[in-house]
Parts: sequence; C-alpha cells; structure tokens
Amino acid sequence: MEVIYWIADNVFGTPAILLGFIVLVGLLLQDKTASQRVSGTFKAIIGFLIISAGSDIIVSALTVFEPLWKEVFNLSEQPLGEFMGQNAFNAEYGSAVTLAMTIGFLINVLLARFTKLKYIYLTGHMMFWTTTIFAGIVVHTVGDVSFGKLVMFLAVIMGIYWTVQPALTQPFMRKITGNDNIALGHTSASVALLGALAGKVLGNKDNDSEKIKLPKGLEFLRDSNVITALTMGLLFLVGAVIISFKDTPGAEELVASAGSQNFVIYAIVQSFTFTAGIAVVLMGVRMFIGEMVPAFKGIATKIVPGAKPALDSPVVFPYAPNAVILGFLGSFAGALLWLFVLGNTVGYIFVPTMIVLFFHSATAGVFGNVTGGVRGALMAGFITSTVVAWGQYITVKMLLADTIPDTAMWAADSDMFILGPIIRFLAQLLF
Amino acid sequence: MKVLSVCGLGQGTSLILKMNVEQALSEKGIRADVEHMDVSSASSMSADYIITSNELAEGLEGHSAKLIIVNNYFDMDEINQAIDEHIAKA
Repeated sequence: MEVIYWIADNVFGTPAILLGFIVLVGLLLQDKTASQRVSGTFKAIIGFLIISAGSDIIVSALTVFEPLWKEVFNLSEQPLGEFMGQNAFNAEYGSAVTLAMTIGFLINVLLARFTKLKYIYLTGHMMFWTTTIFAGIVVHTVGDVSFGKLVMFLAVIMGIYWTVQPALTQPFMRKITGNDNIALGHTSASVALLGALAGKVLGNKDNDSEKIKLPKGLEFLRDSNVITALTMGLLFLVGAVIISFKDTPGAEELVASAGSQNFVIYAIVQSFTFTAGIAVVLMGVRMFIGEMVPAFKGIATKIVPGAKPALDSPVVFPYAPNAVILGFLGSFAGALLWLFVLGNTVGYIFVPTMIVLFFHSATAGVFGNVTGGVRGALMAGFITSTVVAWGQYITVKMLLADTIPDTAMWAADSDMFILGPIIRFLAQLLF
Repeated sequence: MKVLSVCGLGQGTSLILKMNVEQALSEKGIRADVEHMDVSSASSMSADYIITSNELAEGLEGHSAKLIIVNNYFDMDEINQAIDEHIAKA
C-alpha cells in the first residue's frame, strides 16, 4: 500500500514528473534514439516548470495594468482579489490537467476510430490551456474535488470537444482549402463559425478580400511578440499619460509605485514585461508540447486509418492573407470599444491580448471572407473581440474568480468562454 | 545539422512543419535535429537551415542560417521539393 501512496504523491501528484513519464512513453513508442528520448523527457519536465515562472511575470505586469485603467475610468471597485494563480494551481491540480489531457486525447482517438468523425485534434498547446481553464472552472464551482473525478470529468468533456469541434467547422474548411484533407482544431472555432454565418447573412461574397492589395509594411504583424508588445505598450502608454495628469490619491499612489523612475517609462517597461512573461510561458509550453504531439500523432495514425488531422488556426492563413489582416483590424476596433464600454459600465478592465486578437480574429476573418468577402472578414474580427471581451469579463469575475483568473485573461479563448457556463452547469450537476 | 521550423507564435503550426520536415529528411536518409519556434526566438538561435513561410522570412533576413521557403506547411510535396533543392543537394 505504501508504495502506491508514494507513487500517487510523487509521480501522479507532481505534474512535471507525470508529464515526463507520459512523454517518455510516447518517445518509446516512436522510432527515436536513446539520446532523443533522454533530451525529450528532460525538455518536457523543464518546459512544464518554466510555465510557472512565466505566469508570475505576467501577473506582476497585470497587477499594474489593472489599477492603472481602473484609475483612468475612476473605478473604485475591489481589484482582482484573492486567487490561486497559475503557479499554485499547477502545483495542486497540474497532474489532473495533464492526465485528463492525455486520456481525453485517447477518447478522441477512439471516437475517431469508431464513429464517422475522423478528426484527430493535434493543437497541443490549446489542448493544455483548454483543459486548464475548464479545470479552474470546476474547482471554482465545486471547491474540494477528488482527483479521479476531476480527471474523468475533464477527459470525457475534452475527448468529445476535440472530436466534434473539427467536424463543425469542416464544411467551411472545405470551402477555404478546396479539399477535405485537413481540419481546424482550435479554440477559436466558435468565432470562426459565427464569422462565417455573419458573413453569409450580411456580407458580400463577391467582394473577395484577396482582390485588394495590402501594404507590405503590415508583415510585422505576424510576429506574436512584436504585436503583443506594441498593443499592450500603446494601452499602457495611454493609461500612464492620463494618470500623469490626474491628481487623485489613486493616481498619486500609482505614480509613487514607480519610485524614482518616470511613470510613463515605468508603464512602458511593464508592457514589455507582460510580453516577456508570455514569451516565457510559450517557451515552456513549446518545450513539452513539442515532445507530446508527435507521440500523439504516432499513436493516432496507427489506430485510426484515414484520420484527418485537426490543426492550429494559422493553417487557414495562406488561403486568404488579406482576410487575416482585415480580421485583426475588425477585432482591434472592437477591443478598444469594449475596453471603454466594459470599463464604464460593469467596471471590468478587459485585457485584450494580441495572441487572441490577432491569431483568432485572423482565423475568423478567413472564415468570414469565404462567405462574406471584405465585410465578412471585418465583421468576423469584430465578433471575435466581442466574444472575448464579454467572455473574459464573465469568466474572470464569475466562473473562476478564485482559481486562475490570471490565466483566463491572457490564455483563454472564445470557445472556452462560450463553453465555460456549460462546464459550470455540468460540474454542479455531476459533483 | 540543425534545422529550425518557424511560425508566428512558435506553437502548433511550426510543430506540424517540424514533424513533416523530420519525416521528409528521414526518408532521404538525412540526419538532422529539427526544432520549432517563433520568429523572434529563431532570429537569435544558431542553425544551419531555417524553414519558414515567405512573409516570416523577411524578418529573418541576415540570419547566418540558410533560409528555405515553404508556403504550405502541410504539403509534403512542397516540403520534399524544398529539401531536395536546398539540403539534399548541398
């Protein structure tokens, strides 16, 4: 018995070690050399630990961003409050998330094997974030939750979601790619669908976005670090300049927190810190997902003949590069509008992260263009920021306020916001 | 030999490209370490070859590695052709 407890604590209870084992098994199943197996396992473990470090950096910048804009809008409500944060959450529930993700994938493979939905979900980093956010919602909803129950609940939900979501978007994917070989496996599927439907009803298909010529100067928008720093930098800058001209106690307190440094400079450094935090987290995710997904793919192709891979959202970008930019523009306009509206009405400071606003709006833009041309692409982008802004407000304030609201602010997407209330309802029903 | 596969975020898409490139290289009997990442990280990494799309390649000009353009990351024919042209011949 003691052996079992020891294993439960030290292997299943330590997410980094558990992940290392899962990746090692995956590497053993593949045609890899011993040295690749060692480095792969080590990188998976290190990668998982890097995520916590990066999360802390993001939180440190967000704790400046929040009060800054609260002060701009003259809001006196309580700040984010007491929450676990990704770091503590990983320590307690990281193993359940890791295991649920693995079993969920196996359910996806089995469903693809025995039903008509032949899609294998391979966008590993989104598998991780979706499972994490849903775990946060369950823990927030039911409080004390047993390890086994949490794993099984999440695994079944994820397995079904990863099988059904690509099937729902596939009719439009066929139109976009002109064939039936690849599918979309991404958490922006809901806004892509909404964008395509809006384009169909209100757009004009004949006004294809690919007929217009866009300036070459917009190419830098494809580097995620640059766009994140640029837009967060602008928001920090605007906020900081407004604060510098205010003489309320709150504004003075904020300026004082910069110490001897000029407050505007301090705020700009915070925007780069935020971007740096995201870069660190993404590096960690890349390190373990890069080992895990090839193993997953190897398993899937052996078990499911004729399977179609459901892939990351940029798969659609080459089919309509202009719609990508139009989706972003529509979304950016929406983000600024909602930042202002949410701040003035419900008193929530929306964090419009550029990963969501660029990559996800771009995907929606391509879907909107295929049914509604230029107007469809712009609307799809606007829909994306609308869902993300209101979704973020509801999710952060109501669905996971005491678990991982920090992560929901920068790593949660439209599908998670739309499915979140359903997860909460199911958790109440079943736990 | 070290090869980088690069996309905008350095997560899913470049990973698929990495797997496809690994498969193509091993079929040709070429031994290589392939890593996937985003443009910013790639610009500060040393490598022999960087495989990426046309738009992203602009941000990597002047890199010591040889740039190979692949526009459709899922098209094995295009990947095979690019490797034949640039790596297998070298």
